[in-house]
Amino acid sequence: MVRFKSRYLLCEVCVPDRSSLQLLEDRTIYNTLRAAVNRAHGDYGSALFNIGVIVKYLNAHTGVVLIRSRKKHYRLIWSALSFITCLENRGQKVQCFLNCLHVGGTIRTCQKFLVKYNRQQLHRMLPDCKTDAEKQEVRRAILSCSLSNVREEEADEDGSDDDDDGDEET
Amino acid sequence: MEEPSKFERYVYKNDSVYHYMKISLVLENGNKYITDAQFKQLITCGLKDLYGEVGASFPFDLLKFDQNELTGILRVYNSGLVKLWSALTLLGSYQNEACAFRVMQVSPFLLALSGNSRELQFGDQLTL
Repeated sequence: MVRFKSRYLLCEVCVPDRSSLQLLEDRTIYNTLRAAVNRAHGDYGSALFNIGVIVKYLNAHTGVVLIRSRKKHYRLIWSALSFITCLENRGQKVQCFLNCLHVGGTIRTCQKFLVKYNRQQLHRMLPDCKTDAEKQEVRRAILSCSLSNVREEEADEDGSDDDDDGDEET
Repeated sequence: MEEPSKFERYVYKNDSVYHYMKISLVLENGNKYITDAQFKQLITCGLKDLYGEVGASFPFDLLKFDQNELTGILRVYNSGLVKLWSALTLLGSYQNEACAFRVMQVSPFLLALSGNSRELQFGDQLTL
């Protein structure tokens, strides 16, 4: 079978204060990443970026970004992520760094990882809770996050999926 | 009676870690005064334009430089040969003046660069 294989980089934007996260747009990330790839890898990097890279998903509340690139050049894009120091959005500069959590071959594998990761983060938050009410909230959140939505989709497409699930741990 | 000497043959499949390139710089308006440091700086600028910071940091050495002819011998690791060669090809200007790099010889062994049948000049002794 001949088709374009891609790699999805699941990244997290880490900022010192969470309120500045709300203003993020996927165009901001795209432009910043393009400038970083141009600086780090020159004209060759810019050309590769133009062909295959697109920001697929951005969650302004949690700071999760999903970047898609071609399978042959994802390491180049990945290496340029470390050179991003600030995101500029309409004249305001936000100091940040991008942390890559997971590399997946499809959006579904990234989604599965994200559910597991969020549950681990909630577990980590539990000892830090000050009041009982907060603890109840966190426990309820942990119990409610589940893979049931993802499992339904899997049952539908059982056996007919030969996706290249390149699950690499960072 | 001496024993017949054993026949041994060594075959190297590209044993060399480096590649050596003999290049020359051709300027549009004749030769300028260029030191070896400026020559290397020019090549590094070309690498930086095409391959960015990561490409410009790739190590290569200028082994010999002839200031009158503006020719030199570069040494680069095997993995960087394609990048260096492509950057040399696409380098177009030096201090706002058109220039070009001509690559005369490329070889994994330095000894091969010492003789070049293209530049061989027959002396008068041969016309007998």
